[in-house]
Amino acid sequence: MAGRVLRRFGAALATLLAASILVWVMLMAAPTDPVEGILRARGILEPDPYQVAAMRTELGLDDPPVLRYLRWLAAWFHGDFGVSWKSGRPVAEEIAQRLPATALLTGVSMLMAVVASVLLGVTAASCHRRAWDTVVRVITLALVIVPSFLFGLLVLNTVVLRLKWGRVVADGTWLTVWWPALTLACGAIGYWSRVLRASVLEALSAPYLLVSRARGASLTRQVFVHALPNALPPWLTIVALGAAGLLGGAPIVEAVFTWPGVGAYTVQAISAGDAPVVLFYTMVAITTFIVVSLLTDVLVTVLDPRLRTPTAVAS
Amino acid sequence: MSAMTTDAAPAERGSHAGLVHRLLHHRGFVTGLVGVLILLTVALVGPLLVGDPDLTRFTQQLTPPSAAFPLGTDSAGRDVMARTVYGARVSLLAALVVFAITTTLGIGVGVTAALAGGRIDAFLCRCCDVMLGLPSLVMALAIVGALGPGLINLVVAMSITGWAGLAKLCRTLALDCRHRGDVIAARMAGVSPARIAVGHILPSVLIYGLISATLGLGETVLGLAGMSFLGLGVQPPTAEWGSMLNASRIDLAVAPWLLIGPGLGLVLVVTSVTLISDALRDCADLKELS
Repeated sequence: MAGRVLRRFGAALATLLAASILVWVMLMAAPTDPVEGILRARGILEPDPYQVAAMRTELGLDDPPVLRYLRWLAAWFHGDFGVSWKSGRPVAEEIAQRLPATALLTGVSMLMAVVASVLLGVTAASCHRRAWDTVVRVITLALVIVPSFLFGLLVLNTVVLRLKWGRVVADGTWLTVWWPALTLACGAIGYWSRVLRASVLEALSAPYLLVSRARGASLTRQVFVHALPNALPPWLTIVALGAAGLLGGAPIVEAVFTWPGVGAYTVQAISAGDAPVVLFYTMVAITTFIVVSLLTDVLVTVLDPRLRTPTAVAS
Repeated sequence: MSAMTTDAAPAERGSHAGLVHRLLHHRGFVTGLVGVLILLTVALVGPLLVGDPDLTRFTQQLTPPSAAFPLGTDSAGRDVMARTVYGARVSLLAALVVFAITTTLGIGVGVTAALAGGRIDAFLCRCCDVMLGLPSLVMALAIVGALGPGLINLVVAMSITGWAGLAKLCRTLALDCRHRGDVIAARMAGVSPARIAVGHILPSVLIYGLISATLGLGETVLGLAGMSFLGLGVQPPTAEWGSMLNASRIDLAVAPWLLIGPGLGLVLVVTSVTLISDALRDCADLKELS
């Protein structure tokens, strides 16, 4: 098991490194020259060649790309994430103010999605072919189909504006996080509960459950003691993959509710061509995703004894 | 699909004809197909029936739905019905282009990796693993950040991020094909590797590749609309559903009807695509593949 975990850790590091090269080349080695834009943003409208040259040296633009990449990587390890081309302030400072709001939104949303989809998926599977099963299937299909921003706008329109059940101004705190988090969680709830339902149903039809039923085990025991532990590991892998959807969906939900998070700020940076900000956001999101999938993989290995056997390691 | 069936190797024709038959008797598939046909009709014929989507009328801003404007007007007095119909063209075309590029890339890379083997295979597999290990919407965001906002750049970004899963699947499919009777027989008869690849392996990979590519189509539509909603895709004043929904945000309190057209359009697209891909999964027995 240790070997499997170690190898998985190595693969995660390699992916992170490859991703950093990919994203860095895309954003920082682009042919567009940022210097004039930066100078304009700092109030120098008609820069003379000396100012341009000074700025190029300051940013290290004249060095070979490999050196620039390595320097960026080294700075990254020292906690120096570069300077915004637009505002001239350190990226980390700009982002740090907004990161807690996004972390709160994604975290609450992830929690909501896991709890709701376990509830919906397990209850639907235990009521297979009965009314509740059908209700859950219709609800989850609807959740998969309706885009998050449309759902968010409908929530804003009916719940917040007409029924006055929440506040229009999202301030990035616990008080206002619920509707945005639910909006972000929607698609995940739909997809995850569908997968878990199918997974539990499959486990319920396994021979060992026939034995358990023959022994007279209650439905609760069948589901929670026998079916669920077997259905969970593959489902957890899906959940980890779905975390990518939450990270990618966060900017959209932030835009709907004017949530003061990193995503909305990054979207502005994209429109303004502020590459260091986009680079930082992308790397944070990618790192989060890779860590989540790594932890899930380790968890699945711990939960599923079959993955611990030497044959599984060899495959 | 029917053209694909006739192209397939004779030995496989029976099962693929059976697939078409099963699909046409699948309620979800037929419903989805009707939805797609309605959307295509709206996108192709609709613009002939409605007025100018960009015509601003400053005396008729934010009017509720009426006989003249069935879906009302927006804050610039533009006909929402006309914009929805024209928006269908943009949204569907972008989704189809992304679908075509990712499918071609996925099948191409997968089959190349399987047939080339060795270092090329290992390299392409690593590329796929890296792409699959990254959150695709975030990557799309980064690519748009590098290229700048715009519809074409968005299509490029969505295409680059969407092919890896399909490539891995097609690689597995092509590897399985190499040990099939007709392929071994062809190789023993001295048929060139290129002809074996095009004549024997590609046709059978193509069917399953296309089917599993369809499974991701709904996600593509949602991704494109989401990025346009963020203002990173189609630039104003061009009508597109995602950007129309974003524009409606400001006037939501006084003009909720702005949501009807683009919202229903998006829901119809994703519903149809989801129904079709679910049906394909049921009928083609892709369980062991995906």
